[in-house]
Amino acid sequence: MNLADGVQIVSFVVLAAMMLGGALGVVLLDNIVYSAFLLGFVFISMSGMYILLNAAFVAAAQVLIYVGAVNVLILFGIMLVNKRQDFAPVPKAWLGKAATGLVCVGLFVLLGAMVLATPWSLSTLTPIGDGALVAIGKHFFTDFLLPFELASVLLLMAMIGAIVLARRDFLPGELAEPDETVLTLPERPRELVSSKK
Amino acid sequence: MDFANLAAQLNAGTILPEGIVIITLLTVLLGDLIAGRAASRWTPYFAIGGLLSAIVALYFQWNNPTPNGFLGGFNADDLSIVFRGIVALSASVTLLLSVRYVEQSGTPLGEFIVILLTATLGGMFLSGADELVMVFVSLETLSIASYLLTGYMKRDPRSNEAALKYLLIGAASSAIFLYGVSLLYGLSGGETRLSQITTNLLANNANESIGVVIALVFVIAGIAFKIAAVPFHQWTPDVYEGSPTPVVAFLSVGSKAAGFALAIRLLVNAFPMVSEQWHFVMTALALLSMVLGNVVALAQGSMKRMLAYSSIGQAGFVMIGLIIGTDAGYASMVFYLMVYLFMNLGGFACVILFTLRTGTDEITEYSGLYQKDPLLTLCLSICLLSLGGIPPLAGFFGKIYLFWAGWQAGAYWLVLIGLLTSVVSIYYYIRVVKMMVVKEPEEMSEAVKNYPAISWTAFGMRPLQVGLIVCLVATSLAGILSNPLFNLANNSVTGTPLLQSSVIQPARPVMLQSSKTLDEASVLEAHL
Repeated sequence: MNLADGVQIVSFVVLAAMMLGGALGVVLLDNIVYSAFLLGFVFISMSGMYILLNAAFVAAAQVLIYVGAVNVLILFGIMLVNKRQDFAPVPKAWLGKAATGLVCVGLFVLLGAMVLATPWSLSTLTPIGDGALVAIGKHFFTDFLLPFELASVLLLMAMIGAIVLARRDFLPGELAEPDETVLTLPERPRELVSSKK
Repeated sequence: MDFANLAAQLNAGTILPEGIVIITLLTVLLGDLIAGRAASRWTPYFAIGGLLSAIVALYFQWNNPTPNGFLGGFNADDLSIVFRGIVALSASVTLLLSVRYVEQSGTPLGEFIVILLTATLGGMFLSGADELVMVFVSLETLSIASYLLTGYMKRDPRSNEAALKYLLIGAASSAIFLYGVSLLYGLSGGETRLSQITTNLLANNANESIGVVIALVFVIAGIAFKIAAVPFHQWTPDVYEGSPTPVVAFLSVGSKAAGFALAIRLLVNAFPMVSEQWHFVMTALALLSMVLGNVVALAQGSMKRMLAYSSIGQAGFVMIGLIIGTDAGYASMVFYLMVYLFMNLGGFACVILFTLRTGTDEITEYSGLYQKDPLLTLCLSICLLSLGGIPPLAGFFGKIYLFWAGWQAGAYWLVLIGLLTSVVSIYYYIRVVKMMVVKEPEEMSEAVKNYPAISWTAFGMRPLQVGLIVCLVATSLAGILSNPLFNLANNSVTGTPLLQSSVIQPARPVMLQSSKTLDEASVLEAHL
């Protein structure tokens, strides 16, 4: 084993440990802010994996999109919803947790067995390395042109939808009573219908 | 690759109908932006005009000699044309139904139309997508637009709840679908075009691997969520109850049709070597959907929930055509979807109208409606009876064609269960009809007693009336004059190379008499 292989293996082990530890923390910690920060940590270790695989562009995109956009968005979401609410402990909650854990372990064993049993066809091409940017661009404008353009329509619609959902429909002067629920659907809710009878 | 060469290879004319929809969408958006609320006088009609011209453009693409566009990303074969037509038509009828509903709920109309048109666009692209990335992007376009439409009445907590449920379950199922697709990509050595995946899998000796089966299961989970097959149906009743009713109408017809198009293309194209397995899984899904959908519908008190369960049951019937996989099977599926479009949208049109006039959708509130509103009673009765499959209406012929094709192919159990559950379904459809027609005047419900005077002059009532009449006429006449629709469905299947190559394959387990079916399909046509 030469030096390069050794460095690769060591960095793989370190990255994998970081990723698994972070992911466990996301699921197990009670404080949601810690979970959100650990999620960003997991994303960063994942981009380290991409660098090990010689995919620098994907690694950069991972950091930009997942850490820079998705994770920050999650943190903003947590920050803006500053409602501290203590949930009453559910009796026998461990039963549900145990069942979930069992299903997850079963799924992991199944997928792990599948990965090991499958004769994967490994590509014999040399990794493209820093030329990836050009290759991806070429794909975007040849065989992936249609999904690339459709994604722009998708983003336009998502933006319109987000504005529709976030827009304030009434002026601040005529604020509705905070406790009053506004029913926009023409159907009466079922509770009202039954109480009327 | 120079530009002219590239433009010729792209064959961009194949997506002309979708281009028309995009231009309509942008015009509506800009018009609404510039003219403000005044634009709602013309935007719905402009959008309907755009969708109808897209259908005309689809007509001119029929039997296109070079259906492959965008270097294999899009396939405009006859099957995709039929499905794209169904999606576009269902969206235009939905627009007719939604003008008054959206106006009365006090929400902006322009954005509603834009999001609905984007959902239509996603459904149309999904029907022709021939490549994994394209499949996923168009599926997401359809799904995200559907979530937004579901939560469109954002000040109503029921709509919020429905949107959140739909979003969470939908995102989970998208993730599962994507995982399955990525397995397929890896197993085939990095191939995304559906038509090439099988060849590559065979070349890589991956055809017997358990990986293909897992990919299949995950992909089916994604598709079954879209077509709301049991056990991936849990979102359906809550979402149908909480969303605006015109959106429900679109979800139950347009979105479902796009899901079936995806199912045919993906399963037939990419999974022929596990065909036995996918037939088994789909058979189980179809049986469960038919039984559970139709039985649970019996117990529903709300009309929207009942139609939700009935649509689950109807999806089970349509899946029979997919499972038997003969020419007649696919053709009966297409035919049933075309008929289902009119009868289901007609039913929803009546529910919308009744809700707008009385503000409720409880089944018991319909009692005695015959005395006050004969047109609504007639239309709802015809549509429900047609959904149940009562003869001379369109639904009867659709069902008999499906069951006949299933019987021919030897899927006896499926057909028997289908017959049995459609008898069950007749019971709960008739219950509503009986409630409306038979009751004496003194048994009239509160809502019907206070029924407002019938007037079609308010803004947006005319389009609703037009939609109602169109569905009524189509449902009553499509059964008796069904020959053009039969021919359309049969030609779309025989003119699609994908299905023709798959029908010849002998590996199909339930197919016993495929060579006979073509001749007998023409015999049946001659009879009708």
